[in-house]
Amino acid sequence: MILLLGPAGLLLLVVFAAPLLHYAWLSNHADSVVTGLEPVLNHGANWIRLLQDQRFWQDATQTLRFALVSVGVELLLALAIALLLDQRWRGRGAVRAIALIPWALPTTVMALGWRWIFNTPYGPLDQLAHALGWPSLNLLANPAITWIATVVGDVWKTTPFAALILLAGLQTIPGDLYEALRLEGGSSWVCFRRITLPLLRPYLALALLFRLAQAFGVFDLIQVMTGGGPASSTESLALYAYLNAMRFLDFGYSATVVSGSFLLLLGLCLGGWLLSLGLSRPQRQQEV
Amino acid sequence: MPHQRRLWIVLLLAWSLGPLLWQLYTSFCSDQALVAPLAATPERWTLAHYRAVLNSQPPFWRYLLNSLFVGTSSTLLTLVIALPAAYALTRLKPWIARPARLLLLAAALFPYVLLFLALLEVARSLHLGNNLLALSIPYAALSQPLAILLLTAAFRDLPLDLEDAARLEGMGLWQRLRWVLIPLIAPATTSTAILVFLFSWNEYPIALTWISDASLLTLPVAMARIAGSSIYSVPYGAYAAATVLGSIPLVLLVLVFQKSIVSGLTSGAVKG
Amino acid sequence: MTSALRRLQPWMVAALTMALLVAGSMVWVQARPTESVNILMPAPFADATQPLVKRFNQEHRGRIRLTVTRGPLETEAISDLAISSLLLGDTPFDALLMDITWVPKYVAADWLQPLDPWFGPEAMAALAEGVRAGNSINDVLYRWPLVASMGLLYWRTDLIDQPPRTPQELVTISRQLQADGRVPWGYVWEGRQYEGLSCVVLELVHGFGGFWFQPDQAAVGLNQPQAIAAVAWLRQLISEGISPEAVTNYAEPEALQSFKAGDAAFMRNWPYAWAELQQPGSAVRGRVGITTMVANSGDPSTATLGSWGLSMLRGSAHPEATATAMRFLSSTESQKALFLSHGYTPTAASLYRDPELIALNPILPQLEEALEHALPRPETPLYAQISDVLQRDLSASLTGQQSAAQGMERASANTEAILRSAGGTP
Repeated sequence: MILLLGPAGLLLLVVFAAPLLHYAWLSNHADSVVTGLEPVLNHGANWIRLLQDQRFWQDATQTLRFALVSVGVELLLALAIALLLDQRWRGRGAVRAIALIPWALPTTVMALGWRWIFNTPYGPLDQLAHALGWPSLNLLANPAITWIATVVGDVWKTTPFAALILLAGLQTIPGDLYEALRLEGGSSWVCFRRITLPLLRPYLALALLFRLAQAFGVFDLIQVMTGGGPASSTESLALYAYLNAMRFLDFGYSATVVSGSFLLLLGLCLGGWLLSLGLSRPQRQQEV
Repeated sequence: MPHQRRLWIVLLLAWSLGPLLWQLYTSFCSDQALVAPLAATPERWTLAHYRAVLNSQPPFWRYLLNSLFVGTSSTLLTLVIALPAAYALTRLKPWIARPARLLLLAAALFPYVLLFLALLEVARSLHLGNNLLALSIPYAALSQPLAILLLTAAFRDLPLDLEDAARLEGMGLWQRLRWVLIPLIAPATTSTAILVFLFSWNEYPIALTWISDASLLTLPVAMARIAGSSIYSVPYGAYAAATVLGSIPLVLLVLVFQKSIVSGLTSGAVKG
Repeated sequence: MTSALRRLQPWMVAALTMALLVAGSMVWVQARPTESVNILMPAPFADATQPLVKRFNQEHRGRIRLTVTRGPLETEAISDLAISSLLLGDTPFDALLMDITWVPKYVAADWLQPLDPWFGPEAMAALAEGVRAGNSINDVLYRWPLVASMGLLYWRTDLIDQPPRTPQELVTISRQLQADGRVPWGYVWEGRQYEGLSCVVLELVHGFGGFWFQPDQAAVGLNQPQAIAAVAWLRQLISEGISPEAVTNYAEPEALQSFKAGDAAFMRNWPYAWAELQQPGSAVRGRVGITTMVANSGDPSTATLGSWGLSMLRGSAHPEATATAMRFLSSTESQKALFLSHGYTPTAASLYRDPELIALNPILPQLEEALEHALPRPETPLYAQISDVLQRDLSASLTGQQSAAQGMERASANTEAILRSAGGTP
């Protein structure tokens, strides 16, 4: 029986486990054009560089900001969409299918589309600002706001996915629960607070966890939409690792950036888990 | 209440379709109309952008074919490997199956972009670069966690006595899988296949590092390369035409298979 | 052909011989197929060289077929495209139009073919002096310059008679002009956090007697007093209002826009700006002079060298044909054509004294002089990274987040960390 697991296990080992071990090894080596693209032990010099690398820490904060804001907005929107799709009305199936479209398209396709929509001065948003007599928005050239444009692109693309998970959760809630509460005179807001949210919590947690991890690894959208600019204000950790390998030909340091990102993510997950433990315990007591 | 709901539905549709419709509109606008959208331009509508995209070197449909090829081969490879593994997981003792499922979940959550560097080195040392068939190996591997989790859930729903009956009739393991169990989970297999296909069709970072030959690019990488080659004038008409052409197959796929996609995603959420 | 044969009809033997000869020569041509050469260039260069490529293909019909792949517009995107194919080990390109700062990286990765067999000492002697640097690594030639560029100080001939030669003079003149209300700003330059800022600072650090980085000794000079003084001077320009606060967000177009509108007495920019300033819409048309960057007396006036050149890739199947195409594209005639059609600054010394060209562009002699002061940026495979860390600390120093000394100390430490981690120090 265990033999049936063989091929899958082997593939997973090769693609998940081996790379992580390889990164751990490579991050302690100089492997760049200077060394002729051959690994040479450099005794932690990569890690010292990582600690004082302003670009790495800037990218780390930017990635985190991007992930938290876009996942936060996304979950709120997804909840609203799920509640809407959970009700019964004509044409629901068609609307659900249409709402799924953004999720199914390749990220790079619409990243290119967003570049046009946010274009200065010909994009529709800038045209609108112009028509209203406002100054140009300069959405893709202003380091202070361009990251928001990337959040919009990400929210558009990934909300349907989160909405579907939440919808699945909503559909497991038995309808008589609501009826019982409504008979006691509970308003729909009370229903939402006392029934929907608590029962939806595992699904919210799943969507949150999944989306946070994916948003932390954001790459396609940023690379095509802004290339990390202006002044690397939208650069993500994955993009920085990519640039170190493919542009600077510094594989040793790229592996260090990847490992550093991985450790950060691990730390975040652990922190988030502890936090959620601390938060859910008192609430559970309340419910009882 | 219904009025309010209608408003929300309209908003949802506008949000989901708006950007796409704007691309559609842009793709038919002449360059002059794009630069001065409000001014009256005599020649507002044009097919020139589509002509340019379809006549470029290599032509655009080439990328669609490449993506189709990679998507199909990756999906087949994934299923061939994931089906037996998922079955095994349902029949193994819990002390193996449980940690295995947890590991699979962790792998499914892992932002796989971070694997690109190691995979690039694999491609370089084994000379797998610029080979569409080889690309389906990492794709199948990356799809395993989700595929196995979804299929395990489906296998677990099958009544055990069904298999016992087949065993009593003298069917071996392979026969039972081939003639009894796999046909019974066909709906789950379909939705898994579609999800894997979508992933392979849309995957970007690995295709970006494994393929450099312009005639072998998959759609997402080709789009990004078009984006990178921005020239002074306003090439957005051609971009828009490319995004529209690149979207059509997927929009169709979603509309046709939406039930399978939804059931795949939601059962993954319920049981994963 | 057929009519010729008909006339020869009485002499059947002769006709047959002819036919055989023709057929034979055709077979001979077929036996030596056309060699195809593919060069990757950034979009503007690919467009500019179109007529030259056409002429080359006419002249070499049946032997060499040259195609230029029109790459992305952005400098880095071109390199990304080339690298992605080189890393996988098969590249469709025979040659690449390269920025000067890429050469050490490509050579270290062993991707370039030495050019010495095709471009000897005589060819080198015909180049303007300033563009010879930066093309060879360890005395092996890897790149042949096609278009030259160097940092220049633009000044207003209607405001002053003589351009400033030292940083102090530039400050004094600017203050005077601003106090007299003749011009809102003294000096505009490229202060945004990007490659242009590294170019600005390289010139000044040398003008103050310091250096940035010496690859052969892996020596970093950024925390030396001279380099700190240069950065402190730039900060002083901003804090004293000689340069606008916004200069820390200026790239070339912004600096040009300000100077073109008549808002500044001095500007640091590249040669292309000259033609822009002579456009009908320019407020300073005909009132602009150019000179080299200011420097402390006794220290070298320095112009950052920026140039594009052709390199042959190792994988090329037709090195001989590629070299022929490279020689053609960089010939004096081609450079002249490129200058006339697109204003590309030539690299051939003789063109700087060509009366026809000088009549069109009177600053050519000054450009040649500036080329004599030209200095390439640090020649190391790690250039992109060390430039990036420098830009970060510079930007923070110029915007007042840290002092010049603090900034350069940090930039220096960060540079050394990069060298150690990438194996750049023994």
